[in-house]
Amino acid sequence: MNINLEELKNDRQRNSEERMKFIEFWAEYVRTHSDKEWSKQQNVIIDSQIEHAHNLVKKKSS
Amino acid sequence: MIYDKNKREIKLDRELSKLDNFVLEFTKFLSDYVIVSGYVSILLGRSRNTEDVDLLVPKMRLEEFEILWKKIHNAGFECINISIVSEAFDMLNEHAIRFYKGIPMPNIEFKMIKNNLEEYSFKNKIKVRMGKEVLYVSPLELQIAYKLFLSQGGNEKDLEDAKYIYELFKEKLNKEELLDFVSKLDVKKEFEKIK
Repeated sequence: MNINLEELKNDRQRNSEERMKFIEFWAEYVRTHSDKEWSKQQNVIIDSQIEHAHNLVKKKSS
Repeated sequence: MIYDKNKREIKLDRELSKLDNFVLEFTKFLSDYVIVSGYVSILLGRSRNTEDVDLLVPKMRLEEFEILWKKIHNAGFECINISIVSEAFDMLNEHAIRFYKGIPMPNIEFKMIKNNLEEYSFKNKIKVRMGKEVLYVSPLELQIAYKLFLSQGGNEKDLEDAKYIYELFKEKLNKEELLDFVSKLDVKKEFEKIK
């Protein structure tokens, strides 16, 4: 299999830059919106992962 | 979110997540502590999750630890590492121990303060007030520089945490203090990436 390492490295670099741009965007969003508004969105990510972990444990033990 | 840097206080009107409630439930058993690392940025809005919450407490004697251990266990928390209090205390003197409730994720990484940087975090902690609830977190300038230091290990998550707090508070940070930590932790190159 031929792997184009240069292309992969460029992709990684682009991905990293895009993530940094998103961090800037999200920090601006948090600064300009009410705490209630951004935290509701943030909690979707946080709570769903914790709920998922609980459900997995329940499933395994049943 | 309002940061009063003179009072070292952040007022947050956020909806509490399951992670926040977990941390608040644990910290109510502690008279003195400071939260450091990833959860600080999450509490302040960073859009990611974590498996553990790093928490530092001042050095304590075995007798004090035994009382705390009992209270924590009565509330349903368990230690991941060990179930014998004296052995947990010995372990705590060497490194961190972890507490969880029900399932291992999330958990509290519980450490006693051992170095100057941790001592600084504790002495200069910031109060985060969320209605009636309060949490104490490390000073933002140190938090940013320390995350940059951790990012030297190649972890993008740490660099992004530093970037997030920097972006969020850049107009209110103590620049002199931040640059001092950046220099002391030798993270000038990393700091350039988030500016």
